[in-house]
Amino acid sequence: MKKYIKFLIFTITATLFVSCNSDEFLNPLPDTVIVAETFFQTDADVLSGVIGIYDAVQGVNENTQSSSVRFNRGVQLEYLLTEHRSDNTRSKTLEGSRADFHRYIVEPENIQSEDYYQSMYEIIFRANNVLKYVANADASNINKYTAEAKFLRGYAYFNLVRLYGAVPLLTRVVTSEEKELLFTRVDVAKVYEQIVLDLQEGTTNLDNAHKSRASKAAAQGLLAKVYLTQPTPNYAGAKQMCEAIINSGDFALETDFRNVFYNELNNEIIFAIQYASGDPNESQGFSSEFTSYKRQGRQDGLNIVNPNLAVDFINNGGNRTGASYAAFGDDANLPIPEDAEVIKFLPLGSDISDTNLPTYGDQPGNAGNDWIILRYSDVLLMHAEAVMQGNDTNDANAIDSFMKVKVRAGFDAITDRPAVLTVNTLLLERRVELAFENHRFFDLLRLGVAHDVLGAHATLKGYTSYNIRRLLLPIPSREINLSEGLLTQNPQ
Amino acid sequence: MKNQLNNFKNTLKIVLCFSILALSVSCEEAFEFELPEAGSLPDNTLPTANFDYIPNAVNFRSIEFNNLSTESTNYIWDFNGLGSSTDKDPSFTFDAGEGIYPVTLTSKDANEASTTVTIEVEVVDKFVAIPVTINNGDFNGGSSGWSFDNFTGGTTSAFNASSDGSFTNYDGSDNGAKTKGAKWTKATSAGAYLSSNTRYAYQAITVSPTLTSPVRNVDYILEFEYAIKTPAQAAGVAPGGNRIYAEILNGHFADGADAVASTPIVQFIADEVKGKRVHTTVQQKFRANASGEVAIMFYAVTDVDVYIDNIKVYAAD
Repeated sequence: MKKYIKFLIFTITATLFVSCNSDEFLNPLPDTVIVAETFFQTDADVLSGVIGIYDAVQGVNENTQSSSVRFNRGVQLEYLLTEHRSDNTRSKTLEGSRADFHRYIVEPENIQSEDYYQSMYEIIFRANNVLKYVANADASNINKYTAEAKFLRGYAYFNLVRLYGAVPLLTRVVTSEEKELLFTRVDVAKVYEQIVLDLQEGTTNLDNAHKSRASKAAAQGLLAKVYLTQPTPNYAGAKQMCEAIINSGDFALETDFRNVFYNELNNEIIFAIQYASGDPNESQGFSSEFTSYKRQGRQDGLNIVNPNLAVDFINNGGNRTGASYAAFGDDANLPIPEDAEVIKFLPLGSDISDTNLPTYGDQPGNAGNDWIILRYSDVLLMHAEAVMQGNDTNDANAIDSFMKVKVRAGFDAITDRPAVLTVNTLLLERRVELAFENHRFFDLLRLGVAHDVLGAHATLKGYTSYNIRRLLLPIPSREINLSEGLLTQNPQ
Repeated sequence: MKNQLNNFKNTLKIVLCFSILALSVSCEEAFEFELPEAGSLPDNTLPTANFDYIPNAVNFRSIEFNNLSTESTNYIWDFNGLGSSTDKDPSFTFDAGEGIYPVTLTSKDANEASTTVTIEVEVVDKFVAIPVTINNGDFNGGSSGWSFDNFTGGTTSAFNASSDGSFTNYDGSDNGAKTKGAKWTKATSAGAYLSSNTRYAYQAITVSPTLTSPVRNVDYILEFEYAIKTPAQAAGVAPGGNRIYAEILNGHFADGADAVASTPIVQFIADEVKGKRVHTTVQQKFRANASGEVAIMFYAVTDVDVYIDNIKVYAAD
């Protein structure tokens, strides 16, 4: 009997060892799991992968998932990193990490900056993933899907390189073991080369069938901006891209400036990220954050209009002024409002006609206003910029494009036409035409006046932390910690 | 034999005890706490030194440095042996003025790892033209500042005071209503109507002179707004048309007669007839003379009322 017990114990122990060694015992694969390797089987699967990239750009509404840690916000927080860091807008309160941007005190630990950085890499990851399995799509669609994924990858890298400088450049799906690739920063010029390659594919393989997805014109327009921005600008290329869009005849300025924002996917829109009002999974939270006097958002009011922008609007805005911002309460009686609010993205059902009692519809926190990434007036002004090549110009084509935008705003085609178009005039026009659409910070950088303008702005406002290093955001510390010493920080 | 067996058993026990002891000791070592330094990684991310610089807007000799070093906390600046600093973003004044000064920055991290960069800083005296302030350029002070001291054979009255100036304030903002301006009528005109009553608005200004050696051309812009009544508002056209003359004179003049007789550096004839209250803005470029002493003069030849407002002079750039 004793003998048998010994054998029994030995056998049980042996079995235990064997099962312990197996990974599957401790990490079973749930039946419901979708593994990338097995998911992309058909054309429809690849297409849903492509749509999934747009989902990463769209981001998750803060009012749906309020945790700051686990959810990518996509473009929904972009105004903090761009408009707040220009002279256009600021946070009403000084509390919390969202109030760090306009005072130029963003630290590597800033959660919104980290979220944006991660969001952009999420877009890049999803794009690379689609590219890996795109061969499973119908032969006729492979080029189109490829161009679409690359367009979005180029879009994400363009944002990253302008905000963070040199960044790791991933053009394929990378495992977490490949630390060198994941965390080695690549020269800004190299990143731009990749962006240009990615966007060029869209200019040949896409058509203008969509506005809420990548199109030929979207690739041309974004490429024009990349050409104007890259370390050695390609003005001829930018001009050619803008003229291709202008001559396509597919786009036109809306007669009423307000309709650009409240008539979704109108003639002027080239590329926009769509949201659906009232749907927690497809709505955005920024519209409600832009309210303050009767606040609907989670904060005291973000993207609050600086008086200095209001002055530029009063003098140069024309009929855009009344459609871009509004002042409420006592502020409405001032000649120049101190705390005006953005009204380009008011939630569905808003009524702000009573400046003492504005209302914002049933579900301001789940707003459906689209986020416009590229529109026609931007292309017209880029056309002028490409002709100017950084100098003042009397070129009639450049001034014609410039005047189209100005005339729509209610100015006279003859008496308000300048004989010479200066860089400052163009910058001012872009400021009032594209205010609150996250262009100003990049415009100042691109036209080489960021330090002059923002330095003076910071001095005026008493933002003493400003210095030239603040024009680049710090690389999020989470990434640096994960990199085990590979990822380097920007000058601090 | 039994004793031998016992001895063997005892030896075995002792060996067993020692081996257990040895085992437990080595186990103790294995489970010992790690020392703080154990497992820490060497800092392979070393400092890089780099900087940029911007000359002070007021004093070109004073250079403001912007530190662009990474992975570093301590800084040592050497301004070409003329001074040093341990600030992060120092300013330094190169009293000797223009020249090229190699500036060395050493950036260190807390492990005393350091790198050094030397960049040649160029101190240049960049020319900035003197700004010109026009006295009573908006005519809110009537004709103050616009009259000759004396005028042989003429009048020192500058123009007819007018409340029909531009709707634009001097700072460019919209006033919402007309502002004060300057006016000429047929009775105060020159040209065919020249008389001792002809009025001239005159103001002497000082600009940065144009130099010939070394060559330095300095251009300024004279800006003003004007309006001329249409035939519907008032009948009559002077010989040669109703017009306003805007001139930059080559020098300062005590007597109006000398000023009128002089040859101007530049003359602009404003003759667009758009009507009272419809102002046209003129920007006329002129090159400063060698002395930098120039003067603005306005007069009119007209049958109907003409107006000017918001006179400005600024450097062309």
